Amino acid sequence: MYNLVMKDLKLGVNPWFFALPLLAGALMLIPAWVYVLVPLYFCFITVPNMLGGFKSQNDLMFSTLMPTSKRDIVKARIFVIVLLEVLHLLAGMVFSLFTLHLYPNIDYLFFAPHAGFWGICWVMLGIFNIILLPIYYKTAYKYGGAVTFSTIAAALFAIVAQGAAMGIPWVNDIFYGAGLDRVGLQFSILAVGILIFVGLTLIAYRISVRRFLNVEII
Amino acid sequence: MMLALDIRNLHKKYTDFQIRDVSFQLEKGYIMGFIGANGAGKTTTIKSILNMIRIDSGEVYVFGKNMAEHETEVKQQIGCAFGDIDFYTRSRIKTVTDITKKFYKNWNEETYSDCLRRFKLDENKKIAELSTGMKVKYSLALALSHGAKLLILDEPTSGLDPVSRDDLLDLFQELIVDGEISILFSTHITSDLEKCADFITFIDNGQIVASAEKNEFMESYRLVSGSEAHLNEVKERLISYKVNSFGFTGLIRTEDFDPSSKLNASMPSLEEIMIYFAKKEGLYV
Repeated sequence: MYNLVMKDLKLGVNPWFFALPLLAGALMLIPAWVYVLVPLYFCFITVPNMLGGFKSQNDLMFSTLMPTSKRDIVKARIFVIVLLEVLHLLAGMVFSLFTLHLYPNIDYLFFAPHAGFWGICWVMLGIFNIILLPIYYKTAYKYGGAVTFSTIAAALFAIVAQGAAMGIPWVNDIFYGAGLDRVGLQFSILAVGILIFVGLTLIAYRISVRRFLNVEII
Repeated sequence: MMLALDIRNLHKKYTDFQIRDVSFQLEKGYIMGFIGANGAGKTTTIKSILNMIRIDSGEVYVFGKNMAEHETEVKQQIGCAFGDIDFYTRSRIKTVTDITKKFYKNWNEETYSDCLRRFKLDENKKIAELSTGMKVKYSLALALSHGAKLLILDEPTSGLDPVSRDDLLDLFQELIVDGEISILFSTHITSDLEKCADFITFIDNGQIVASAEKNEFMESYRLVSGSEAHLNEVKERLISYKVNSFGFTGLIRTEDFDPSSKLNASMPSLEEIMIYFAKKEGLYV
């Protein structure tokens, strides 16, 4: 498993995708922007390019010929995807500290980047994973449908969350009103978001392994 | 007798093709040629051995260990070279080796350096820059450096010029000299096997026709020829035949051949055996 992860880091994933979290994170510095796009850049850019790279480099064949188990091949790949997701979210979260500090009196039409907002982003990537990975591991090389459906699902969730925050008074209060000052509430949302992300990703891993065991390496 | 590879009753059904009851054994320290026409089931069998495709039933043992149960452990002892498969071709040999060696417990850096020197492989070259023959040699260098005892080579000589092919065949024979390494070598270039194989396993239309010592295998068939008048006498017993302006030529099992007949008989080449078996299917279509 460790060797497979190192293989992806050194050979499979272009170093650019490890720099992208910083670049995407820096977009948090745009005042009052649609910040949910920052983690979504991972879905739009990194995932299709990375999976396309694995496909064109015949990575599946390479991994299978090594003394590894199919379960470890899935585990390592999901670990690398989650690592990049965490980098994207952490970079965004760090940059958002500057955002809040730089523009203290700005009017936010979309979510302000408080801890609660980041909780929503973790859930969004959890949803992305649970759609992407099981579809991808039906073949372990076709990624078009998997990326399309998972990105649509993640974006829809973001739109619904944004709509709820704008239209439902008690939700609005949490993300735009007095709730922003309740640090405990904000961090609880973040913690729950992370837990949901972990839960959804673990379920995605289990389904992916089951499907990949049936995949024939052709 | 230690078996390097023991394949028992493999079945795998696709919608338009199947391999049926594939069984054969490779003794330690020998080269087995695995022959068959394109689409006969060679690669399907090899991928079944390596657990790359899910077999419907059957068992594969490598040095006595069940592949399905001990896949990771068994793969430590297997080296593969696939003639037509490339991965990470834009990376340098050095980079791919550095990644690959981490997977193997018995990696020997000294053996690797020896192989690079011997095969004249430049570590700074990209995989894509290697000729087909050099790619096979690179796969062999990796296999030998991790102490592989069973080499599974799928069409390693296809696409090579005669000089490179001969060079590789010499190398294969050298590798098995001390009796530690065994080679399963699939190909449709049968002349390669006439040069270097000890055993032949012949697969046709998804079924093993024969798996035997090379000469024994070739001697079990006779290539017969005669006039068209003679054809009717033996037609029923021929595996298949071709009619030409001088009469006919056909393949027959030695046990079905009557030495007192007036037909001309000779020992067929592996290629002729393959061709007449392929023709047999054509007869029934």
